[in-house]
Amino acid sequence: MEFKKMKTVLTITALICLLVSPAFAERGVTEDTIKVGLILVKTGPVAALGLPDGHGMVDYMKYLNDQGGVHGRKVQVIWEDDEFQAPKSVAALKKLIHRDKVLCLITTGGSNQTIANMKTINKYKISNIPNALMQEFFDPYQPYIFAMGATYECQYQCIVDYIFGDMKADKPRIGVLYAKKEYGKIGLKAIRERAKAYGVDLVSELVLPTGAVDASSQVLTLQKNKVDYVITCDVLPPVISFLKTAEKYSYKPKAVFGFNWATDDMIVKACGKGAENYIGVNFVGGWNDDSPGMKLVRQIAKTNGREVKDIGLTSLYIHGIGASYLFGEAFKRVGKDLNPDSLKAAFETFKDFDTGGIFPPLTYTDKSHAPPEMVKLFKADVPNNRLVSITGWRTPKKMD
Amino acid sequence: MAIRSKTFSESYHEDIKLFRTIWLKSWIGLFLVVLAVLPLIGDPYIVYLINLSCIATIAALGLNILTGFTGQISLGHAAFFAIGAYATAIISNRFQVPFWVCLPASGVLAACAGIFVGIPCLRLKGLYLAMATMSFGVVVEYVVITWDNVTKGVRGISVPTLSIFGYPLDSNNKIYYFLIVLTALAILSAANLMRTRVGRAFIAIRDRDIAASVMGVNLTQYKVMAFAISSFYAGIAGGLYAYVMEYIHPEHFTFLLSVQYLAMIIIGGLGSVLGSVFGAVFITIIPEFIKAFAQFLTLLFPALQDKYDDGWNIAAFGLLIMLFLIFEPKGLSGIWNRIKTCFKNWPYTY
Amino acid sequence: MNTEFMFFIQLVVSGIALGCLYALIAVGFVLILKATGIMNFAQGEVIMLSAFICYFLVTTFHVPFLVAVLLTGIIAGLMGIVTERLILRPMLGEPIFSVVMVTIGLSIFLRSMAGILFGHNNLVFPSPFPTEAVKMGGIVVSQTEIWIMLSSLVLAAVFFIFFKYSRMGLAMRGTADHQDVALLMGISVKQVFALIWAVSFITAAASGVFLANVMVINLGLSVVAIGAFPAIVLGGLESIPGAIVGGLAIGIIENLAGGYLDQIIGGGVKDVTPFVVLFLVLMIRPYGLFGKKEIERV
Repeated sequence: MEFKKMKTVLTITALICLLVSPAFAERGVTEDTIKVGLILVKTGPVAALGLPDGHGMVDYMKYLNDQGGVHGRKVQVIWEDDEFQAPKSVAALKKLIHRDKVLCLITTGGSNQTIANMKTINKYKISNIPNALMQEFFDPYQPYIFAMGATYECQYQCIVDYIFGDMKADKPRIGVLYAKKEYGKIGLKAIRERAKAYGVDLVSELVLPTGAVDASSQVLTLQKNKVDYVITCDVLPPVISFLKTAEKYSYKPKAVFGFNWATDDMIVKACGKGAENYIGVNFVGGWNDDSPGMKLVRQIAKTNGREVKDIGLTSLYIHGIGASYLFGEAFKRVGKDLNPDSLKAAFETFKDFDTGGIFPPLTYTDKSHAPPEMVKLFKADVPNNRLVSITGWRTPKKMD
Repeated sequence: MAIRSKTFSESYHEDIKLFRTIWLKSWIGLFLVVLAVLPLIGDPYIVYLINLSCIATIAALGLNILTGFTGQISLGHAAFFAIGAYATAIISNRFQVPFWVCLPASGVLAACAGIFVGIPCLRLKGLYLAMATMSFGVVVEYVVITWDNVTKGVRGISVPTLSIFGYPLDSNNKIYYFLIVLTALAILSAANLMRTRVGRAFIAIRDRDIAASVMGVNLTQYKVMAFAISSFYAGIAGGLYAYVMEYIHPEHFTFLLSVQYLAMIIIGGLGSVLGSVFGAVFITIIPEFIKAFAQFLTLLFPALQDKYDDGWNIAAFGLLIMLFLIFEPKGLSGIWNRIKTCFKNWPYTY
Repeated sequence: MNTEFMFFIQLVVSGIALGCLYALIAVGFVLILKATGIMNFAQGEVIMLSAFICYFLVTTFHVPFLVAVLLTGIIAGLMGIVTERLILRPMLGEPIFSVVMVTIGLSIFLRSMAGILFGHNNLVFPSPFPTEAVKMGGIVVSQTEIWIMLSSLVLAAVFFIFFKYSRMGLAMRGTADHQDVALLMGISVKQVFALIWAVSFITAAASGVFLANVMVINLGLSVVAIGAFPAIVLGGLESIPGAIVGGLAIGIIENLAGGYLDQIIGGGVKDVTPFVVLFLVLMIRPYGLFGKKEIERV
């Protein structure tokens, strides 16, 4: 009897809950606004990566609003700081969904945070573009994650291809400096396999810690092992440390390579002559490129009163603008009837979509949200303190 | 008959009772009822924060047993927490065993690690001990990252959904009740532990270890025991964390987490079970409060909007910690006790 | 053999340079520890703040480098006095745990204030030292490193003389030894404490300025202080010569581990080795190499 009573109480509460909870499709979209969330680190040591990215995203949405918005709706961005911690990121997403009721997220931040949020993303159909690059985001197919940016594997394959192809290296002695982070480990593995495919073994594999005070032991070891091509799998500050230390010991490899998180004009500004043999890959255009997309980026930065030195890492600012650009395009394609499902469907109509040089042309279908595996290579231009692109978009060579 | 004051003990047994008055019992009952209906009225955001607080409470209880009650400082609590989390993740992934095997196993594994650290640390005191435990934390982080064919290293490892006898707890609201029950159990057993000979021995070691050993407390045995119990709590908390997050990564268990646990028990109150709870809830929830408050302020004064920076939230958090301790060095439990006596003796507060 | 040997020597030399930095940081910690028994967790933030202050003095205000260093030292010293007066003085006589926690709160506060005031960008210090390295018989030492080593040496000498001969130095040592007796002898313990904090923060500022010259300046700079923990413990928490020896030892050990062990074991043992050494040393000597052995009578 008691049991029966409880059952009725439970059913009633459940019914009330159902009634109170708002309908899904309404979330985040009104007659004149679209609410969009954004989870990126704003404070602490990692903020150097999060801030320019987020500023780019916000600035583009502002630009879009100044152009009259999308189908009469203005985009409102709510930026939550997760301090680069997964538990806080999860909390932030819950807040954005249940309190602010956002339609989608421009990005969920790093890989760690995105994976921790994966289930919620699928449950609430939160379309987003993670700014980390992981196989798990598109393989297997994740319905609401739109991967953007060539995977680390692809980037490092292109680097090794460049050594053997463009630089025509004969039996190069390749050394790898990696961080004990996922990009480091993935990068190391990719380089090892790719070099193997060309019939070369790696000479040195050394760890370069992210907070390294100096890189003496690493430089000396590379020098001792006569490494002439150094590939780094680490973020900017340690790579700068390495280049400076290498300059000190007058260690001059034929080239030092870096991946997208270390391919920024900053590196040339920081190291000057020490960076003259630096070559980086990135999946966004260069700040100084003469493409329509990059002109737009520079113009948006200018209207928002941002100078290069305030932006910080320009490559990330470009990435931020690019991510918002994709969302803006998807909003436009949806038309008036905007909801999580139609947004996803709009993204899936992208076919060789051209961002004017911000990103490589990209395609999403309802079976695959894989990123375009394309990168550009940049070389240091020391007199002008910047990186200049030396190739167009390229993909890793097909190996037999 | 003598006039009885509000709480009056007639025997030792009565003196060490956990719930001494009917008022206390009813307040706790009311609190439990509020907790029980909360997921029905609150949104998942709040429920998630309470889940995190529960986990932090269990871990902080463990650290308080070691640091607050036994006087052994540890800056390596995150390491035991990580061992628990990874044990749960790896065991449940590899052997598909249910939670009632996983959780105790991770607790026991962490406890073993605790003993392993505790024995060589017997001779160390104060900051030296803090540094030794901290270096253990660094080593654990290194092992987790390097031993990647088991721990999956820097890619992180996903954890299967927690299910109780075939019923999957696949949302925060469902896992909430499970956590509340376990946390209540953890609080009760910690409070009870402190009433036994073991608990009193711990306190004796903290207050004067040499005197304690003269009185017949086996220092070696009890110090190691304190390490084991504390790590057991951390291990259980770690296991629960793995279940709640469903994905763990070495970056979740850094040195800063150890500092955070220390902060919880110091702010809550060293050597106080209730203090651990307060501290854990404070450290977990206050930042969110500050955030909400800051948003409220910007709504109130739109002029602040451009000046506002998320850094202020964290600065306010740091400031709050400092002010709290400057004005109440005994922590939140000190404040709580003062409020309690104030009410109890009302209207004769002094 | 020759290149092998040179490799070794080079590792040791650059280890010494790194060790000097650690020693400098460690001395900052130890000064406060010795006099007040407090582990100041905000030391790393002071280091980071000084690096930022020096950077902005040089770049934005175009102050000559040496003047900027001097100004940074003065600002840091004032910060030390203010910290002592506003935050630590009210905590006098409170449990040491709470005091340490206050410094943790302070570190959180300072770090976010640094973010608000100085931004989050990676900054590169316009180093006043020429980039050409000095070569001595095949051993390469950069000019920055030479300056780091020289100034550490000078600072160590100054501390030695100060604590041995000056009145204030003696008062500090007396206070560290026994507060009550020092009070009875007419030493103003409050003044001593304020001065200790100031001196410690100035030391931190010195290490901050040097770190700014070798690393990228960002909020992450404060983490370097954690790297100095093994040095402090190795030297035995309360000894300034100990901190210097400990710092040098850790610097050399770290580099040697990076040069030799990293190739064999792999996976970045360079970072972990100091902590393993620390653990082992504590097993054998629970009070560090130079620490006070406390004799407890029963």
